[in-house]
Amino acid sequence: MQSAVDLARSSLPSKTRRRAHRRVAPSIVTAAVLVSLLALVPLAFIIWIAVQTGWETVSALIFRPRVGELLVNTGLLVLLTVPIAIVLSVSLAWLTERTDLPGARLWAWLCVAPLAIPAFVHSYAWITILPGLHGLWAGVLVSVIAYFPLLYLPVSAALRRLDPALEDAAAALGLGPWRVFRRVVLPQLRLAICGGSLLVGLHLLAEYGLYVFIRFDTFTTAIVDQFQSTFNGPAANMLAGVLVSCCFVLLGLEVLVRGEERYARVGSGAARHQPRAHLGRATILCLLLPGITTLLTIGVPFITIGRWLVAGGTEVWRFDEIGLALGQTLFLALAGALLATIAAMPMAWISIRAPGPLQRVLEGCNYIVGSLPGVVIALALVTITVRIALPLYQTLFTILVAYALMFLPRALVSLRASIAQAPIELERAASSLGRAPLNALWSTTIRLSAPGAAAGMALVALGIMNELTATQMLAPNGTRTLAMAFWSYSGEIDYASASPYAFIMVAMSLPLTWLLYVQSKRMAGR
Amino acid sequence: MSFLELSNLSKRYGPVTALAGVDLSVASGSRTAIVGPSGCGKTTLLRLIAGFEAPDQGRIVLDGKVLANGGAAVPAHRRGIGVVAQDGALFPHLTISDNIGFGMERGEDKRTERIVELAYIVGLDKAILKRRPHELSGGQQQRVALARAMAMKPRLMLLDEPFSALDTGLRASMRKAVAELLEAAGITTILVTHDQAEALSFASQVAVMREGKFSQVGTPRDLYLKPRDRMVAEFLGDAIILPARIADGFATSPLGRIAVDTTENRDIARIMLRPEQIGLKRTSREGMSGTPDMLFGEVTESEFAGALCMVAVRLLNNPDPPDAAAIGNTPLILRKSGMDAPAVGEIVRLTVSGKAHVFA
Amino acid sequence: MKYALSALAGATALAISLIAGPAAAENDGIIVYNAQHESLAKEWAEGFTKETGIKVTLRNGGDSDFSNQIVAEGAASPADVFLTENSPAMVLVENAGLFAPVDADTLAQVPQDYQASSGKWVGIAARSTVFAYNKTKLSADKLPKSLLDLADPSWKGRWAASPSGADFQAIVSALLQLKGEAATADWLKAMKANFTAYKGNSTVMKAVNAGEIEGGVIYHYYYFGDQAKTGENSKNVELHYFKNQDPGAFVSVSGGGVLASSKHQKEAQAFLKWVAGKGGQEVLKNGQSFEYAVGKGAESNPKLVPLTDLQAPKVDAATLNSKKVTDLMTAAGLL
Repeated sequence: MQSAVDLARSSLPSKTRRRAHRRVAPSIVTAAVLVSLLALVPLAFIIWIAVQTGWETVSALIFRPRVGELLVNTGLLVLLTVPIAIVLSVSLAWLTERTDLPGARLWAWLCVAPLAIPAFVHSYAWITILPGLHGLWAGVLVSVIAYFPLLYLPVSAALRRLDPALEDAAAALGLGPWRVFRRVVLPQLRLAICGGSLLVGLHLLAEYGLYVFIRFDTFTTAIVDQFQSTFNGPAANMLAGVLVSCCFVLLGLEVLVRGEERYARVGSGAARHQPRAHLGRATILCLLLPGITTLLTIGVPFITIGRWLVAGGTEVWRFDEIGLALGQTLFLALAGALLATIAAMPMAWISIRAPGPLQRVLEGCNYIVGSLPGVVIALALVTITVRIALPLYQTLFTILVAYALMFLPRALVSLRASIAQAPIELERAASSLGRAPLNALWSTTIRLSAPGAAAGMALVALGIMNELTATQMLAPNGTRTLAMAFWSYSGEIDYASASPYAFIMVAMSLPLTWLLYVQSKRMAGR
Repeated sequence: MSFLELSNLSKRYGPVTALAGVDLSVASGSRTAIVGPSGCGKTTLLRLIAGFEAPDQGRIVLDGKVLANGGAAVPAHRRGIGVVAQDGALFPHLTISDNIGFGMERGEDKRTERIVELAYIVGLDKAILKRRPHELSGGQQQRVALARAMAMKPRLMLLDEPFSALDTGLRASMRKAVAELLEAAGITTILVTHDQAEALSFASQVAVMREGKFSQVGTPRDLYLKPRDRMVAEFLGDAIILPARIADGFATSPLGRIAVDTTENRDIARIMLRPEQIGLKRTSREGMSGTPDMLFGEVTESEFAGALCMVAVRLLNNPDPPDAAAIGNTPLILRKSGMDAPAVGEIVRLTVSGKAHVFA
Repeated sequence: MKYALSALAGATALAISLIAGPAAAENDGIIVYNAQHESLAKEWAEGFTKETGIKVTLRNGGDSDFSNQIVAEGAASPADVFLTENSPAMVLVENAGLFAPVDADTLAQVPQDYQASSGKWVGIAARSTVFAYNKTKLSADKLPKSLLDLADPSWKGRWAASPSGADFQAIVSALLQLKGEAATADWLKAMKANFTAYKGNSTVMKAVNAGEIEGGVIYHYYYFGDQAKTGENSKNVELHYFKNQDPGAFVSVSGGGVLASSKHQKEAQAFLKWVAGKGGQEVLKNGQSFEYAVGKGAESNPKLVPLTDLQAPKVDAATLNSKKVTDLMTAAGLL
C-alpha cells in the first residue's frame, strides 16, 4: 500500500512554503540527495541490466507472445478495475458524506477498513467461498474489493471540503441535481479521483498474492515465477523493465488527465456546513450499497477466517511458531518504519523550508521509486547485492532498505505535514539563542514533528506488516513473517493453519487503518 | 403591485428557530435590503426564497406563482431566481467565460456575444474572460458572479452579502454600480447584509431582522428617523435615547424642550435623537450666564480620527430635569467634523435641530 | 525530548544489529537452504539436533531460486547444506563447482542410482510423476497412455500443471533428456495450448478434486498427504501411474549436498549423513511426507506403490539441465 503517493502531492499548501529560508544547512541537503540517489538505484539497475544483456536478448525476451499476453491481462485488469472502483467509491463517498444515510460515520470507516486486510487474504477468503474462482473477472472483483478504499479515501475527503455554495449557485442557475453533480461536483473531484485511480492502478501492477490464488497472471506474478525458476535471470529483469514502463505509463496518464487546473476554493469566507441530501424512502435502497460492499469486503474475509479458525481448532494455534513470526514481523515493521522515517526527514525538511527546483527533482525521485512494485525493488536489490555487495546480501540491512524505498513516500507525507505546522521562527529563535544549526533543528522542528513522524511510522509499519513479495525475496535466513507463514501454509492448501496468521495480520492492521482514515481527513484541509 | 409576497414563513433547524413567521411584500423593480445582526435568520430567509431549502410553514409567491407552500416547494433550479453569494461562489474549474455562460444552454444562439456583453455590462475587461477565478481580485470575482446570475435573465436577484469581502472603498463604489445596473435591467433585487449603511444606501425598502422576525420594514429614511424601538434605532446608527414628557408636540427632556414627531401627549415616554441632530457651538463659562433655557456642556474627551472626531460632552446644566442625576453624569458621545472639533475642557453650547422621535 | 532520545537509541541499536546480525547467525550451527517441504525438513532438522546438539537454521524456498541463488552467491554463500526436491537444481550447483564431495560413508548409505556419479551430492528422497484425475469425470479407460498424449488436441482444456514449480520443470527436464530438444519444445508448445496453469501441485490436486479440471500432472505424495489428513482435497482423486518407462513415469530424486564454501564442513556432512541415513529415511517412512525413501534397505511408507513397481525410465539425474528447461518453457510462453 503506497497510499502516501497522492496525499503527498495534495498536502502541501503553498502558503507553508517559505521562501525566506534559503540558506539550508548543507548537511541536510547532502542527506536528502544521498537518500534520493539511493532511491534511484533500483531503477538505474534495471536499465543497466538491459544494457548489459544486449539488445538481441532483450528484444527476444520482451517481444514475445507471453509478454503480450501479460500486457493484455494487466491492461484489462487496470482498465476494468479502476472505473468500477471509481463508480463504487464516488457513490459510497457521496452516500456517507452528503446524505442523511443512517450510520454514515460507521459506514465511512467500514469503507476504509478493507485496507486492514492484506489483498492476498481477501483472495484467500474468496477462493475458500468460491473455489473455482479464477481469471480476469475474478481478478477485477477481488481487486475492487481490496483496493477501492484507496479511491474512497481521497474522494470522500474532497467531497467533504467542497464548498456547498457552488452547488447552490449552480442550482440557482437552473441546473437540476444530476446536472449539478456532473458539471460542478464531479469536476471538482477530479484531482482526488485521478490520484486515487493512480494509487489503485499502481497497486494492481504490484500485487502478487491476490492473483496467485485466483490464477490470474500479471507481470508481477510472471516475474516471481521467473525468479523462482531462474533466480535473477535476464527474463525476470526484462519483465520488470516492462512492468516499470507500465508504472510510468500510469504516472504519465494521471498527469495528463489531472491537468494543471486549480481546484482550490476561491474566496475568503469559511465554507458553510454542507447540507446533507434527504434520502427519504430511498434510504433502504441506499443502505444496500454500503451494506453489500461491507459484506463483500469485510464480511467475506471475517467469515472465512472465522470458519477456518473454527475448523482448525486449537491445533492451528502453534504459539511458538506464531509468536516467533509475530516477533519478527513486528521487529521488521518497526525497524523499517524507523529507517524510512529517518530517511524521509531531510527530504521533508527541505520541501517545507527550502522549496525550489532541487527539492522538486529530489521529491520526484522518491515519488517514482515509491510507486515501483515491491517485486521490482526486491529483484534489483537481490541482483545488486549478489553482484556488487555480497556481504549485504540477505541481510537485515538490505530488506530494511527495500522497505524504506518502498514506503518512503508514506513517511514523507506525514512528516511534511507536521513540519509545516512547526513554525520556522522557533528554529531561528533556537539559533539566535546560540544553538548550532543541526542542534537548533533537533531541539525545535524535529521534536515538534514527532507526532507526525509517529503517524507516518505507523503507516509504514502497516505496509511492511502485510508485505509479501519483497520480504520473500530479501529476508535474512530464518526469517518467517506473518505474511510469509500465511503464504507458505496457504500454498500447501492448509487454509486452517494459515488462518491464525491472517487473523493476527488483520487484527494488528485495523487500528492503523483508522489512523489512515483520520490522516486523510486532516490532509483534506480540515 | 406586489411582485414577491412572503407570508408567515417559518423554518426551524432542530431546536433552533431560524425564522419565526416572516411577512414581506416586494414591489416589482424595487430594491429591498434585509439587514440584521449575524444569526438573525436573514440568510435562511434568502435560502428559502432561492429555493435551496423548503420552509416548514408559510408561502412564497413570486409574480403570482406559488413557489413554496409549507414543505411543498419548487426546487431552486426551476425558480429562475438569480443569486450572488458572499464570496461569489465562482466555479474554480471553469474559466471566467464558462462561469458567466454556465446557466445558458450549451448551444444557445450568440452565446459568446452574450458573455462578452454581460462582462461589459458589469464592467469587466474582455481580456479576463479566459482566466480562472483565482486569478481575479475580489471585486472582479463579484462582478463575474453578478454577470453569471444576470445571464439567465432572472426576474428576481438575491444578493447575499456580496460586498462584505471587499475593501471599504471598493465596497461603496461596487454597491452603487450594482444598484444602477440592476435598476437599468429592471430586476427586482433583495440584498441581505449585516451592514446598516449598506442597507440604507442601497435599498428603497429596508427590513430590519432580529431573532427570525422583522422588527420593522419601511423606507430607509423612515427606519432611520422613526425606528419602532430602541433595538432598531441602535442597529441603524448611533442614537441618543432620553426619557421625556411629551406635551403639545414638544418633549421636555434632559436636553431641554425639543420638537417631536407626534402630537400625542404622554407623561412618560422615551425619545430618540440622532447625534448629528445635536450641534455644538464654542463658548466659555462666562457665556453660560444669563441664559437659563440654553444648554451647555464641557468637552471631556476629544479623539481625532481623520474626517470625523469623537467628542464627549458632559452636560453642565439642564433646564428641566426629570432625572437629572443620571443624564448629568453620562456624557453625550457625538461625532463632529475633524476640522473644528472642540478640544478637551472647552465649554460648548448644545443645540438640537429637527424633531426627536418618540418610541411607541 | 524523550521521543527524540528513544528514536536515537533505537537507530543506534538498529545500526548495531545490522552489522552484528548476520555474523551472529553464521557462528551458530549450520544454515540449510531447504527446498524440500518445510514440515519434512523441520522433522529432519529437529531429529538431527536432538541427536547431535548441532543447531540447524532452515531457509525455506524452492529448488530453482535456491540453486540459482547459490550460484550467484558463489563462494560467499551463507549456506552450508542444500536440500532439494528434484535433481536439476543439484546439477546446476554441481556444474558451478560449488559442492564439496560428499563423505564416502554417506554415499555408501544410498544406492548408485540415487546419487551423482561424481559423488558431489546424494539422493535423500524420491517422488514419482503421476497423472492425478477426478474419478467422477474421467474413467480409467480414457486415461492418457503416455505423458506425450497430453499434447494431443483432444486434451485441450482438460489437464493442469504448475509450470512455475521446480517439480514440473524436473519432469520436463527428464522429457528433454529422453526425447531431445525439438520434441520437448513441440510438446511444451502443445502444452501451452492445452493445459491450465495453477500455482503449486496442491492447488492442481485441489482443482482436480473439485472437478474444475479432469486431471493434472503432479507428484504422487500430494495425494497421500491429503488422504492422511482429511482427504478434503483428494476424495474424488485417483492416481494414474504411466509406468512403461514413459517420460511420465519419471521418478525424481531429491538431493542433498554440502557447499564447498561452508565453514562448518564437519557439521554439514554430519547432517547430510543423518538425512540420507537411517534416521532421516525413517522420517520418510513414518512421517507425513509420503516421499519415497532411497537409502539402502530403507523402507518407504507401506501405503505407497513400491518404488520398484513404477517402471520408471532410466534417467541420468546428474545431467538434467534446468537452464535449458526454463529457456524452453520461457520460449513456449509458459513462464
